[in-house]
Amino acid sequence: MTRVADPALLLTRAPAGRKRAGVLAAVHAEWIKLRTAPGPGWLLLACAVVTVTVSSAVVAVEKCSTASCAVDATKVSLTGIQVGQAAVAILGVMVIGGEYATGMVRITLVAVPRRSVMLAAKAAAVAVVTAVAGIIAVAGSLLAGRIFLPGNGFTAAHGFTPLSLGNEPTLRAAIGSVLYLVLVALFSLGVAAAVRDTAAAIAIVLGVMYVVRGVSSLVLDPTWQLRVDRAAPMNAGLAVQSTTNLSKLPIGPWAGLGVLAAWTAAALLAGWLLLRLRDA
Amino acid sequence: MIGEMTPVRGDRMAGRDGFAQLLRAEWAKLWTVRAWVVSLVLVVLLTAGVALALGNAGNSGGLPTVATGPGGVAVNDNFFFMHRSLTGDGSITVRVTSLTDGAAPGQGEGSIAPQPWAKAGIIMKDGTRAGSAYAAVMATPGHGVRMQYDFTNDSAGLPGAVSASSPRWLRLVRSGDTMTGYDSADGRHWSVIGNATLAGLPTTAAAGLFVASPQAYQSGSGYVPTLATARFDDVSLRGGWSTSTWSRCEVGAPQSRVGAGCVPVSSRRIPLPLASESGGTFTVYGSGDISPYVPIVDIVGGIIKAGSLAGLIALIALSGVFVSSEYRRGMIRTTFAASPRRGRVVLAKALVIGVVAFAAGLAGAAVALTIIGPKLRSQGWTPPIYPAVSLGTGTGLRIVAGTAVVLTLAAVFTLAVAVMLRRSVGAITVGIALFVGPWLVAAAASQSVGAFLLRVTPFAATAVQQGVQHYPQSSAVCLASHGCYPLAPWDGVAVLAAWTVAALVAAWYVVRRRDA
Repeated sequence: MTRVADPALLLTRAPAGRKRAGVLAAVHAEWIKLRTAPGPGWLLLACAVVTVTVSSAVVAVEKCSTASCAVDATKVSLTGIQVGQAAVAILGVMVIGGEYATGMVRITLVAVPRRSVMLAAKAAAVAVVTAVAGIIAVAGSLLAGRIFLPGNGFTAAHGFTPLSLGNEPTLRAAIGSVLYLVLVALFSLGVAAAVRDTAAAIAIVLGVMYVVRGVSSLVLDPTWQLRVDRAAPMNAGLAVQSTTNLSKLPIGPWAGLGVLAAWTAAALLAGWLLLRLRDA
Repeated sequence: MIGEMTPVRGDRMAGRDGFAQLLRAEWAKLWTVRAWVVSLVLVVLLTAGVALALGNAGNSGGLPTVATGPGGVAVNDNFFFMHRSLTGDGSITVRVTSLTDGAAPGQGEGSIAPQPWAKAGIIMKDGTRAGSAYAAVMATPGHGVRMQYDFTNDSAGLPGAVSASSPRWLRLVRSGDTMTGYDSADGRHWSVIGNATLAGLPTTAAAGLFVASPQAYQSGSGYVPTLATARFDDVSLRGGWSTSTWSRCEVGAPQSRVGAGCVPVSSRRIPLPLASESGGTFTVYGSGDISPYVPIVDIVGGIIKAGSLAGLIALIALSGVFVSSEYRRGMIRTTFAASPRRGRVVLAKALVIGVVAFAAGLAGAAVALTIIGPKLRSQGWTPPIYPAVSLGTGTGLRIVAGTAVVLTLAAVFTLAVAVMLRRSVGAITVGIALFVGPWLVAAAASQSVGAFLLRVTPFAATAVQQGVQHYPQSSAVCLASHGCYPLAPWDGVAVLAAWTVAALVAAWYVVRRRDA
């Protein structure tokens, strides 16, 4: 590949060679990158495997000994999402941050000069592959819950039925968890597009998700606790996994996922604006 | 920087560079990159800033009223007492033939398992005031025979629960200030459980039989009162016992003022059966607990921990990039050309990042503790439940020094992982996942899962930041979010140290074996 000194030259020249690279073509290009680079495949596999492993480990030891045990069986079965999301966060960061690290981003922008199209194509490709991995992760986790929980006291006698997607709240939790993973990946993509550095991006993403979540458990002022639980992306987003005691949640299931979606939209918007405003 | 490097090349053969020069080179790399210095400052700011933000916690609910034991510790001292006065030396010997425990009347009988730390036995105490000095020998449902004194001291006697077929004989002997506890499975062969010196115990002590049963924690309904029933016979008293009849009362009754003394059992709101005697067999009922009081919230420890974990994110990012940027830019080839012994390069990098991490952690934690200590006290987090924690106390020093050590080891661990992976993102994720992941899972999962994670993961090291003292003989629920860790403070750090050493050894091996 020959190096081109001034990317601005490319911007003027590229449309001449190829009139208006379509959005579909851009998505296809991103799909080829995701499919052929070794990293994304491993990360998606890691997301599914880590999620199912952690979920299985948790449901294997979770016990319910009395009828009064206040355990949300669906939510417990989906615990692994909290760890598996790190893999899709890396994927979101690497898809654009990795290009900045190697300089590949300049070639990408030569091929797809319109920043909006480039970012949208990356987002679409990441969303689709994350959704596929997420479906596998969620299905495996719920299956583990269905197999293990009845043996640990989550029986009809204690007021539990085996996990099933026929149960409307469980179905909502399952779909919501897949969407949660997709939104986390896109949030990471937006952050990485804004900061252009993989290390900084992953630290910001995991810090905003995990550390805010951990710190919020130590906020003792109930008013502030409620505010954090309603505003923090991981706290609010995971509300979508709850199936019992919904009235006691700090935020409703879909509203919680909406908060995460707002964070994602804000990150993508920031990434898009900065992409447009500055040189690659 | 180039000027400093020149003598290394000029005076010495490549490969025979001194370790001091190597350290200096790595140090120069670190402090000349502005973004890295900024991230170090961020470590301090996040550690102190998050702690200060959380330090605004008002104690809106107020603290429960608790008794104060010898030495000023907060204690539970509530039990049913059948006593006489004992003047001077003497002893009491009894046989315990049964100890059953369950929900108190009207609290859902039959649904509550026996409390492992329900207690039935013999006690000699400085009067009947809650919190006064005592020594006791007791049977328990879950922990065998114990001798305990002055709330914080506990030693084990015969194991196993009491039943009619395997009764336990207990004996407590006073000789001056020294109390000696004995137990026996047959009433003939006795063994010493332990000795207690109760300085200042008056000549006349209240002594006799006691029963207590701590509240049970039921998920959903919170703490539920329980009632234990014990049968004693073969009561034998020696020495200066008064000849009056047994007094029966409740020490430290929850509805009375602290220090009100012994309340007659019959005055309880929920009437309980009275202790009874027939033909030398005593049946004694009891609720309550004699143990150190462990608060639910570890306010200082929790806040410093949260602050340091926020700072840790920036530190982990820095440690990962400190290595990966060399690989990304090809600088690593220059580094290895200048210092072909690669193991020493890893060591030099680890030392540099470790020293700056220690300094940042120390500064952040010291600032945080100095400011939030007095602030929390003024907001109602007061002794005896929350003793003052500052840089001048052992606990405060341990928290601050421990925080610095935890950050040091975490930085070196991440650095070693980054050497192995050569990529910052992988290293940073591994670092954050191993430190913060267990925190979240332990908070969400059950107690046994949480305890397991707190024993084996790097997160175990945060045990060094615990600000409240937990005791094995306390019946309080042990949760990490309450500042209760399965490992002793520095043992937790040792777990992290083992992870760090393993990662360093692996990094050393990998970096020598492969191409740069």
